[in-house]
Amino acid sequence: MSMILVACSLFGIGLLGVLVRRDIIALLASVEVMLGGALVLLVGLGASVKHVGSPVSVEGIALIVIVVAAAEAAVGLALLVAVARRRGATRVEDLSEVKG
Amino acid sequence: MAALLMAPWLAVVVPLVLAIAIGLVGRYAKPIVPLVAMIGPLLVVALGIGALAAIPIGASAAAEPWTSQLASSGSTVWFGVGALTISVGWAIDTLAALMLLVVGVVALMVIIFSIGYMSEDPGKVRYFALLSAFTGAMTLLVIGDSFTTLFVGWELVGACSYLLIGFWYQKPSAMAAAVKAFLTTRVGDVGLLFGLAVLWASTGSLGYVAVMHGLGSMAPGAITAAAVLLAIGAIGKSAQFPLHIWLPDAMEGPTPVSALIHAATMVAAGVFLIARTWPLFEAAPAARTVLLIAGLISALGAALAAIPQRDIKKVLAYSTISQLGFMFAALGVGAWGFAFFHLITHAAFKALLFLTSGSVIHGSGTQDMREMGGLRKAMPVTFVVWVVGVLSLVGLWPLAGFFSKDAILDAVWIAVPIAGVLLFATAFVTGVYSGRATRLTFFGSWRGSGHAHESPLTMLVPLVLLAIPAALLGFSGNWIMTRLGEHPEPLSLSISGVAVGLGLVGLLVGWSLERGENADEILQVRLGRAWTAGSAGFGWDTVVTRVVVVPVTVAARVLWAVVDRYVIDGTVEGTATVARWAGGVVSRLQNGDAQWYGALIVAGVALMLAASIWLGR
Amino acid sequence: MSGLTSIGLFWGLSAVALLGALAVVFVRDVMRMALGLGAFLMAVAGFFAYYGFGFLALAELFVYVGGVLVLVLFAIMFVQRTGSGAPLLESRIDSLTVVSSVAVAAVLFVMVRPLAAAFSVSLPATATQHLSQALLGRLLPQFEAVGLLLLVSLVAVVIIVGGERE
Repeated sequence: MSMILVACSLFGIGLLGVLVRRDIIALLASVEVMLGGALVLLVGLGASVKHVGSPVSVEGIALIVIVVAAAEAAVGLALLVAVARRRGATRVEDLSEVKG
Repeated sequence: MAALLMAPWLAVVVPLVLAIAIGLVGRYAKPIVPLVAMIGPLLVVALGIGALAAIPIGASAAAEPWTSQLASSGSTVWFGVGALTISVGWAIDTLAALMLLVVGVVALMVIIFSIGYMSEDPGKVRYFALLSAFTGAMTLLVIGDSFTTLFVGWELVGACSYLLIGFWYQKPSAMAAAVKAFLTTRVGDVGLLFGLAVLWASTGSLGYVAVMHGLGSMAPGAITAAAVLLAIGAIGKSAQFPLHIWLPDAMEGPTPVSALIHAATMVAAGVFLIARTWPLFEAAPAARTVLLIAGLISALGAALAAIPQRDIKKVLAYSTISQLGFMFAALGVGAWGFAFFHLITHAAFKALLFLTSGSVIHGSGTQDMREMGGLRKAMPVTFVVWVVGVLSLVGLWPLAGFFSKDAILDAVWIAVPIAGVLLFATAFVTGVYSGRATRLTFFGSWRGSGHAHESPLTMLVPLVLLAIPAALLGFSGNWIMTRLGEHPEPLSLSISGVAVGLGLVGLLVGWSLERGENADEILQVRLGRAWTAGSAGFGWDTVVTRVVVVPVTVAARVLWAVVDRYVIDGTVEGTATVARWAGGVVSRLQNGDAQWYGALIVAGVALMLAASIWLGR
Repeated sequence: MSGLTSIGLFWGLSAVALLGALAVVFVRDVMRMALGLGAFLMAVAGFFAYYGFGFLALAELFVYVGGVLVLVLFAIMFVQRTGSGAPLLESRIDSLTVVSSVAVAAVLFVMVRPLAAAFSVSLPATATQHLSQALLGRLLPQFEAVGLLLLVSLVAVVIIVGGERE
C-alpha cells in the first residue's frame, strides 16, 4: 500500500514536471521520472503476485520497458540537440510558433 | 335605374375604377377627363333618385327601427376567420338615398365648375381622378350596411381629403395642412375604432341591423362607451371642437375641393354617422351631451372667429364649423331629423358659397378680401348667387337655411334653453361675419391690382344651378321629414321671428363694421387682442401645439437619443462586443503552448478516470 | 532481512526517489537537476533489488544511470546556451497543472489499491535463468521488437544529429 502510494506519487511528480517545465531537457528528465515511477509500481506489484497458472515474467516486462525508455530518451535528446543547434534555444516559448 | 338598384355597388366601384383609369391614361385625353369624372356623380344621383322612388311613402319601420324601409339591400361575405365572418353589403333607405343625392349633385356641380377653374392647372388630370375616387369612397360610406363598410369609406374619404388638400404639394403650407387634417381626423378615428371594438365585443357583429337589435342586451356602460367613442369620431371628421383645427388650414386645397369635401360631404359624414346609428345614441344620454357641448362651443366660437378673417375662404371654413355645430347641437337634443335636414340645406348653400368664392378668386386674382371691393359691378352673376347663399346661411325667409336652422333652434330651445340662447347668439354672429364679408368683397371701391372680370360660363352655370336648391329646398322640409319617419315640427312664429331678426341685425352690424376704407385696421386697434385672437382661431392651434405636438416630438427625440441609440443600438453592438470577448477567451485555449495543451489533456484524463471509477462503483 | 531493516530500507529508498523526482521538477540549476535525476534512477534500481529482482536492478543501473544519464549530461553540454554560466531552468506552475497531476496520481492510486489487497507480501527471488527463459520464450516477440527498436533509434539519432551537411 505504501509502495503503491510512493509509486503513484513519483508518477504524479513526473507528470507535473512534464506539464510545468519550460526547458526541454528538464522535460525529458521528467518523462524519465514518470517512467521510473511506473516501473516501481509494476515491479512492486509483480513482486507480490502468486503465480497461478501461467507464470508472468515481471522482470521481462520491466526490462523491455527499460529498453524502450532508453531508446526514447536517446531519440529525444538527439532531437533536442538538433533543434537547439537550429534555433539556438531550448526553451519551450522560444520554440513555439503559434501565439495565443 | 332599376338595374342600378340591383347593383348599387356599381356606384362605388365605377367611380373608383374610373379614377384609376383617369390617373393612368388621362394625360392622353385631357379634354374628356372631366366628362369621365362626371360619370361617377351621375350614377350616384341616379341611384339616389331611383332609391327614393322605390321606397313607398309612409313605410313603417319594420326591420330597421330608425329609418324607413329599404329600397335595396344585399351582402356578401368578405372574409371569415373561423366562426367569425365579416360580410359587406349595402342597405339603401331614405336616409342613404337623400345623402346620395347630396353627394351626387354637389360633386357634379363641383366637377363642372372645375372645368373652368382648374383649366390652367398642370395637375388637373390627377385632380379629376381624385374627385372621382372621392365620389366612390363617399358612396361606399353612405350605402354600406355595416360599420365595416362605413369605416372603409370613412378612411378612404380621409385619404382623398389628404391628397386633395395637399394637391399643390410643392407648397409646404399645403402639405402641412394635409398632414394636419389627416392627423387630427386620425385622433377622431381612433375613437371611432374603439367604439366599433366595443360594439363588436358586445354584440358580436358590426352590421347595423345586428348591432341595433343587440342594443337591448348590452350593458349600459358599454352603450355609453360605444356612443361616446363614435361621437369622438364624428367630432374629428366634422371638425368640431376640440378637433376642428384642421378645417381652416384645409383651405390650402383648391376651392372646388373645399366646396365638395369640406363643406358638403365629408364633414357631413359625422352627422350622417350619428343619424345612421341613432338608436345607439338614443340610449346614451352622455354621448348626446358630448355632442351638444361640442356643437355649441363650435357654433359660437367658430362664428366669432369668422369675423376678423381676411381670407374669404377662411370665413367660409369657420362658417362651416359653426353650421356643423348647429347640427351637432340638434343631435345632442335628439332632433336628428332636423340635423339631417340642415345637413342637406347647408350642403346646398355652403357649396354654393364656396364655389362662388372660387369664382371671386378667379375673377379678382386674390383670396384676401382687403384687396377686393366693388365686385358687384364687375361680377354681377357671382354677386347675385353670393347674396342668395349668404341670406340662406343667415336664415332669412323664404330661403332654405331659414327652415332648417329654425327647426334646430326650435328643438334646442325647447330642450335646453341655455343652449338655445347660445345658438341664437350664434345666429346673430353669423349675420355679422356674413355682412362684413359681403361688404368687403362686393361693395366699396376696387382695392386690388389689375382688372376684375366675371367668370366663364362653365363656372357660372353650376353656381346658378346650386342657387336654386339653396333658395328653395326649405319647402321640401316636411316631405323630407315624413320620408325619414320623423314628425315635422311646426315652426313657432316667435322663434322664427327672433331668429330672423337677429340675423338681420347681425348683417347690419357686420355691414357697419366695414364702413370706411381702413375699417379693419381701426377695428384692430380698438378691439386689440380680441381681434387678433379671433383671426387666429382663438389660439386653439397654439394650445394643441404646446400640449400635444411639442411633447410628442420631444418624446420622440428622447426615445431616439436614449432608447434607440443606447438601448437598441447598444444591444446590437453589444452582441458584437460579447462575441468578440467570448472569442478572445476561447482563443486563449489555442496559444501554441504545448504544455498548456498537455495540462488540459491530463485534466481530461483525470476526469475520465475519476468518472469511470465513480460509475463503476 | 528483518522487518525493521526492511521497512527502513524501503522508506530510505522512497525518500531518495521522491527527493530526486522533486529535484527534477523544481530545481533551477541544470546540473543539479541532472544530479537529482541520477539519484532518482539509482533509487529505482534499489527498489528493484529490494524486491528481489537483481538482474533488473543491474540492467537499470547500466542502461539508465550509465547510459541515459550520461546522454543527458552530454546533451546539456552540447546544447548551446546564451549568456555566461549554466542558465536557469524555469517552470511555469499554475493551478491547472498541479490539480490535474495530483488528480491523475490520485486516480491511479485509487484504481490500483484494490489489487494490492489480493496480494500477499512475499519476496521470491527469481533466478536469472527464469528470466532468460522468458525472454527467449514467451517474450520472444517483444524481445525481438525491442531489438529492432534499438536499431532504428540508433539510426534515427545518427541522422537527426549528424544529418545536416552545410
